[in-house]
Amino acid sequence: MKRRQFIGAGLAVAGAGVLGARSAFAQGKEIVVSNWGGDWNDRTVKYIEQPLLESKGWKIVRDLNTAPQRRTKILAEKNLPRGTLDVAHVPISDAYLLNTNGAVDVIDFGKIPNGSDLVPAIKLPYFVPWLYSTWEIVYNPNYIKTPPTSLAELWNPKYKDKVGVTNQHYEDYMQMASLLATGKLHDLDAAKKKLLELKQVNHPKVYESHQQIAAGFKGEEIWIACNYRARGLQFAKDGVPVAVSFPKEGAALQTFGVVMPKRATHKAEAYEYFNALLDPKQLAELCQANFYSPASNKVQLTGDIGQKILHTPEQKAKLQSPDFGFLAANTAGMLEWWNKSFV
Amino acid sequence: MGPEKGARLRGLALVLPALLLVAAFLLAPLALVVRYSLDVYDPASLMKGVFSAENYVKLVSDPFYLRVLVFTGEIAALSTAICLVLGYPVAYFISRSTSEKLRSFLIIITVLPLLMGNAVRAAAWMVIMGTKGLANAMMLGAGVIDEPLKILYTPTAVVIGLVSVLLPFTIITLQSVLDAIPGSLEEAGRSLGFSPLHTMFSVVMPLSVPGMLAAGAICFCLAMNAYATPVLIGGPSVHMMGPLVYQQISKVTNWPFGSALACVLMAVTLTMTVISTTILSRRYF
Repeated sequence: MKRRQFIGAGLAVAGAGVLGARSAFAQGKEIVVSNWGGDWNDRTVKYIEQPLLESKGWKIVRDLNTAPQRRTKILAEKNLPRGTLDVAHVPISDAYLLNTNGAVDVIDFGKIPNGSDLVPAIKLPYFVPWLYSTWEIVYNPNYIKTPPTSLAELWNPKYKDKVGVTNQHYEDYMQMASLLATGKLHDLDAAKKKLLELKQVNHPKVYESHQQIAAGFKGEEIWIACNYRARGLQFAKDGVPVAVSFPKEGAALQTFGVVMPKRATHKAEAYEYFNALLDPKQLAELCQANFYSPASNKVQLTGDIGQKILHTPEQKAKLQSPDFGFLAANTAGMLEWWNKSFV
Repeated sequence: MGPEKGARLRGLALVLPALLLVAAFLLAPLALVVRYSLDVYDPASLMKGVFSAENYVKLVSDPFYLRVLVFTGEIAALSTAICLVLGYPVAYFISRSTSEKLRSFLIIITVLPLLMGNAVRAAAWMVIMGTKGLANAMMLGAGVIDEPLKILYTPTAVVIGLVSVLLPFTIITLQSVLDAIPGSLEEAGRSLGFSPLHTMFSVVMPLSVPGMLAAGAICFCLAMNAYATPVLIGGPSVHMMGPLVYQQISKVTNWPFGSALACVLMAVTLTMTVISTTILSRRYF
């Protein structure tokens, strides 16, 4: 074989390889999804992504990180010609911030058949709600025999050195303190005063995250704290000695869902992904595993588990939705105060 | 054009592509960070697109941030000093090992922790230093203490964690410098009647000062900028600059103030490294 023939044959083989690869790629759909890691992502894969998409040949590239990292990435990419993410799982307050900065698309809910009956209070034009929970009292029933009914129990001096808080939830704790003091979520002065009182009276132990406060409960370092109802129920299922109680003052809603970054490159697939997330059957199974409430009214949760997860009509009347504009404008100041004065 | 000038030009031409790459991928982002630091935070649009010294004024006028900066410097300096004290004898032992097998084994053992991520090592320390962790269990079991000690989530825990991360860098840097000091010089010292300790302090250590400076500079820079160790082992109440930069940039999206913190952190690290190495170099050379 002459050199020219050899090069020609080589190029032909290489070309056939590239074409073959492209044709194989075209058979499935590809999407880049950014999500939290750990058990959150494991359950997303197990109940939604694997059975509804990957089993049909989809290739899901996962970019796992924390919500602040994800938000920063989307903001940093908003002026690029193409972004790296197609779908991002975010808390509703981050969706608000991303939309204010023009970093996410408005959602065409007509393209999401499973999203035709979403809980109206948590649906935004640029955000597909998926799961929600509420900020409630989590306590150790071995030491606190009567279930606490008020947030004020955290201030009870008999729990000195036995109260826990999580650093990553500074906004939730400030909302909770404001709610206790004024009945509203966003009176910062009242919240600060109340939290300083808590610090003085009960010396709360500050943990970084969910996992660490769960370890604190398990090791009996703390007996009482606040967390999402869903997390409290998860801890209990995992053998941590805790129970959850809805406070009479009410509870702040925390909603998680998905957004489509403005620079997403697989937008049609993103809509299919949104629809899969809200599949009634799979979402019901997911909620039974992670104890979050489904954002779609099409999902039916019954029996004991449904009773644990879903809110009673009386509780629903006391749910409060945060003012996301207020949070976006004040979160920097809230964290600064938290760092300087509380932690 | 003389041959020397021609060689210099050819050398410059060879270095130029690398210089341009560094300029594009290192200096340009740094310039962007400096620019952001001079902007003003706006919750609705992130930045107002103005030039202002507001962030720097806030940083120097707020005792909280100054305290965090000084505290970070103290932790970094202490960790560096401990690394040098602990690392020097180990590096000397490795350097003077006559058995090649033993030497290779010791180097591998030293480098092995670097194959694990900082976060993984920090997680291991959390298991060891927790209230119900291994360290407390052993001390309680041996009757050394009656109640568990609070080690985790304290500055002491951060120093322990940082030393464990930085020690391999110190040992490897020092060992390569000690290798270059001929053993014959120590023999000459001893033949003049020096004790082994006297030989170490009068001959080996002065000659290894460049290595100590290099190792110290590496440790100090890494400790000043540490993130995973202070967050995981220090906990929420131990504030250091690295986590503070992350909080401002990512958690509250205050890019201008986060950038100002990053610029000050870079400037302070660089200045302290240059000053200390210059002073020590003048003292010993």
